[in-house]
Amino acid sequence: MASRFYGIPLPGVNLEELSGPLIVLEGSDGSGRSTQVTLLTEWLESEGFAVQTMGLRRSLLVAQDIDGLLEENAVTRMTLALMYGTDFYDQLERRILPALQSGLVVLADRYIFTLIARAAVRGIGRDYLHGLYEMALRPNLTFWLNVRPEVAFDREFKKAHSISYWESGRDMSLSNDLFQSFIRYQSMIKREFEYLSNRHGFIEVDGEGSVSEVNGMLRKQIAAHLGIRNTHYRPSNALAQLWR
Amino acid sequence: MATVTPDVSATPESAPDKSAPKRPYPGALVVVEGTDGSGKSTQLYLLKRWLEIGGYRIHFTEWNSSPLVKSATRRGKQRRLLTAVTFSLLHAADFADRCERQVLPLLHGGYLVLADRYIYTAFARDAARGCSPKWLRNLYSFAPVPDLTFYFRAPLDVAVNRIVAGRPKLKYYEAGMDLGISLDRQESFRMFQERILNNYDQMVETDHFVLMDGTLPVNRLQKQMRELVRERVDLAQFAPKKKKRDETK
Repeated sequence: MASRFYGIPLPGVNLEELSGPLIVLEGSDGSGRSTQVTLLTEWLESEGFAVQTMGLRRSLLVAQDIDGLLEENAVTRMTLALMYGTDFYDQLERRILPALQSGLVVLADRYIFTLIARAAVRGIGRDYLHGLYEMALRPNLTFWLNVRPEVAFDREFKKAHSISYWESGRDMSLSNDLFQSFIRYQSMIKREFEYLSNRHGFIEVDGEGSVSEVNGMLRKQIAAHLGIRNTHYRPSNALAQLWR
Repeated sequence: MATVTPDVSATPESAPDKSAPKRPYPGALVVVEGTDGSGKSTQLYLLKRWLEIGGYRIHFTEWNSSPLVKSATRRGKQRRLLTAVTFSLLHAADFADRCERQVLPLLHGGYLVLADRYIYTAFARDAARGCSPKWLRNLYSFAPVPDLTFYFRAPLDVAVNRIVAGRPKLKYYEAGMDLGISLDRQESFRMFQERILNNYDQMVETDHFVLMDGTLPVNRLQKQMRELVRERVDLAQFAPKKKKRDETK
């Protein structure tokens, strides 16, 4: 079995016990990632697979502290990068590894790649960042929902009726015009993702397609990986409003 | 202690020190390291008092002091959520905050910065918890390299007894209970400190530590420390500005 870690393994982890697969969805704000994770969870559960999800700022240890730091805007880039690193490893060690040991399917709504891209565009070295995350588990599948920054802007604006400080990279002083700032920032992130995609073998998905189209493509790939024959899926009434 | 004014005139009058590595800032960084109970904090305090009384431009910083990550550290410790990796990362985040907002700006602003514990604490302690030394080196690679690192070394028994005697109960992480090496706190603490001590010893050469004998009387150690600082740091640079000094020589 190929190593499941990028570099050295986490201390005290027995790789043989990790039977479940790790499936990652990456993509910018407004790429439809979270919607897809919700739908895929339902589909997998209907097929009899138990699912554990993870994402950014969801750790018990530091999620609320990061929220606080982001609100204050006083935090510097290295501190923020390391707080996100803490958040990531706390989820990995205390939630994801136990889930994989129990044979659950782990769906990650963003993974180390977003964290690497965000820190790299702020000038932290790629080698440093890859070293920081060398104890991360290598995903079995990584999908990149790729959308143009302009499309991401439209979607985000419709959702919240405003553009957030961090999504538009305002800490980087790119432009006083928030639209310009958002486009420039997301373009920088996208370039970083292109580099990461080559390096780590992402499966690129056109995130500008309809929810059902994107979901169909994801299901096909995941079904092949997990050996699910039936890829037919219609969302339940509870999720029907997501199906566009 | 009587007021002791550092004798600035004792610094070599010319001699630009070629052995000192080139730094991208005019400040200087002096750090103390060593296990708990090695006497390092007392010594740095006395060094700080000496320089303060002399009116030097200094700033004192200590490990674990940033308010930004304090609540997370407290929560992690109270609820025992921390693993070797997250313990290490949280301290690194805390250190980064101090580094980016205090230490680096002060070094660029021409201060003499005194640090009670530095990255070597993480290297020694987190490796004792099971983190990879290579991973730790990378994690802290953004930190400026000290101009002078004092390593206060006391034999294991001396250091352990100093700590245990002064404390009714050792705290969970302090005693290294998370390592699961012993159920007895004092025994666990001792074994944990032994590992840390060994890790420190291995860095003496690689990281150019100045070894200080922690069993010597406080005032003798302090005398040695002040002499070394005078020798290795251009104190005149941080001296109170009396009148404009001739910059050429």
